Amino acid sequence: MTAYLEVTGLNKSFGGLQALRDCSFTITQGRITCLVGPNGAGKTTIFNAITGFLRPDTGSVAYRGNPLDGLSPQAIVRHGIARTFQNLRLFADLTALDNVLIGINGQFAEEPLGAIFRPFHAASTQRRRSAEALTILDHVGLADRARELVRNLSYGEQKLLTVARVLATGAELLLLDEPASGMSAGALDNIMALLRRLQTEGKTLLVVEHNTRVVQQIADDVLFLHQGHLMAQGTPQEIIADPALAEIYFGGAI
Amino acid sequence: MDFWFSYVTLAAIYVLLGLSTNLLVGIVGIFSVSQAAVFGVGAYVVAHFLMATNPISFLPALGISALCCILLNVIVTLPSLRVSGDYFVVTSFGIQLLATAVFTNWTEGTGGANGLPGIPPPDLFHRPLEETWQLMVLCLAGLALGCLCFFLIMRAPYGRLLRAIREDELAIAAAGKNVLRAKVSAAALAGAFAGVAGGLYATFLSFIDPSSFDLDASILLLTMVVVGGARTLAGSIIGPFLLLALPQLLTLVDIPSTFAAAMRQLIYGVLLIVFMLFRPQGLAGERL
Repeated sequence: MTAYLEVTGLNKSFGGLQALRDCSFTITQGRITCLVGPNGAGKTTIFNAITGFLRPDTGSVAYRGNPLDGLSPQAIVRHGIARTFQNLRLFADLTALDNVLIGINGQFAEEPLGAIFRPFHAASTQRRRSAEALTILDHVGLADRARELVRNLSYGEQKLLTVARVLATGAELLLLDEPASGMSAGALDNIMALLRRLQTEGKTLLVVEHNTRVVQQIADDVLFLHQGHLMAQGTPQEIIADPALAEIYFGGAI
Repeated sequence: MDFWFSYVTLAAIYVLLGLSTNLLVGIVGIFSVSQAAVFGVGAYVVAHFLMATNPISFLPALGISALCCILLNVIVTLPSLRVSGDYFVVTSFGIQLLATAVFTNWTEGTGGANGLPGIPPPDLFHRPLEETWQLMVLCLAGLALGCLCFFLIMRAPYGRLLRAIREDELAIAAAGKNVLRAKVSAAALAGAFAGVAGGLYATFLSFIDPSSFDLDASILLLTMVVVGGARTLAGSIIGPFLLLALPQLLTLVDIPSTFAAAMRQLIYGVLLIVFMLFRPQGLAGERL
C-alpha cells in the first residue's frame, strides 16, 4: 500500500548549515500529525520542501504515490496540499473575505480578458464565490468579520484567517505552521476544536507545534525532529515519556 | 474655446497614461520609471504608419502601436520578476535612458532631436478629424474606454489578485496562483494603455520629439499618480487634469516665458515631495 504522504531521504544545506539530514517519514491519511522539535530543527524547512518553496538537495516527496519533486508551489496546491506560514503572510490591505477568495482556484475573470469582455458573467460568478468564501469564514468563526480589513483583525483572528485561506484552496492535506502559537487560552481551545473538526471532515493535518499541551490534545501521531533528522515517531504519550527527547527539547542537550 | 479643447484632449491622453502607470506602480507594485518610453514608442509607431509612403488608416495604426507597446512593456517589466523593489527601479531607469538615447539618435526612424513634424490628423472611417473638438471627442472616447476597462478589471477577481501580488507574492504562490502570468498580463494591459495614448498624442500634436518621452515625462506620470491618488480610478483621472492645468495657470502669471518651463518642473517637484510627506494617499487614492 502506498503511503498518503511519503518523505524519503531529504537533505538540504544552506551554506555550511545542514538544515535537513536524511529526513524520512510518512503521514497517514485522516490523522493529525504534529511535527515537533527544538528551534532550528528543520520543521519549517520540511514544510518548504513539501510545498515546493524549496528544492531539497537530494531526496523525494510523494503524495498518494505521485512524486512531487520539482513541481512549483502552485502545482502542489493543485495536487491537494496547502500550507500556512508561521508569519501568517496575509494580505493586510485586503478584507478578510478577499483573503479567502484569493485561495479559491479556477475562478472566472482572474485574468484581464474575461474581466473586460464578460463583466456580467464575472460579476455573477464572483457572487457565488463570495458566498462560498463566506461559508468558509463562518466555519472558522469569522463570518462577522468578513468585510473588515485584515490589518484591523486581532492576532488570533488573523491566525484563524490563515486556516480559512488554506481551506479555500480545497486542499485535502493541510500543513499548518504553528497555528496555536501566541494565542490566549480561550483562543487556543477554539483553534484546537477547529483542527479536530477539520479532521472529522476528512482533512489530513500536518502541524508544527511547540505547545506540549496542544500536541497532547490534538495529535494522533508525533514526529520528533532534531538537527534536520527524524529522531522518533510515535503517539504523543510515547514521545513525551521519552526522557532523551525531553532532554533535547527542553535544553540541556548542549 | 480651442484652448479648453486642447487642455481636455491632452489631459484625456494623460489619463490613459495615468491608468497605465497606476496599474503597474500603484496596483501591482512594479515601480516602473520608464512608462514614458513605452508611451513614446506608441507615438512613433503610429506616426511611422501614418506618414509611410503607403499610409494606413488611424485605427489599424493604433492597433499595431498597442501591440508593439504590449510586447515592449512585457519585455521591460520582465526583470521585475527576478529583481524586486529598489533594484527594479534602477533597471527601469536604465530602460528609460536607453529609450531616450534611441529616440534622440535614431534619426531615420524618429527624426532625432529635431523630432517628427507633419504627422497627419487621425481619421475615422476615411474621414480625417481636423477640428480640435473632433480630436477632443476622440480622446475622450479613448479615456472612457480606458476607464471602463480599468473599472471592470479592478472589480473582477483579477483586480483582487493584482492587489494581493503587491502585498505578498509568496502567499499568492501558496494559494495556488500563478504570479508570473498575472504580472505579465498587467504589464501587457499597461502597455496597451500607453500605446493608445502615444498614438493619440502623436496625431493630436502632429509633432513629436524625444523631450515628450524622457525621464522627466516618466516622473511627471508618477507625480500624477501620487498627487491624484494611487490604486483608484478617480486618482488616475484627477492627477492628469490637475497637473496639466498648472502650465495653463502659469501663463496667467506675468513671468518671462523662459522661466515658465523651469517653474513648472519646480512646482511638479515640490508637489511630489509635499504629497509624499503629508498626503501619501494623494487626493483620492490609497497610500502608495
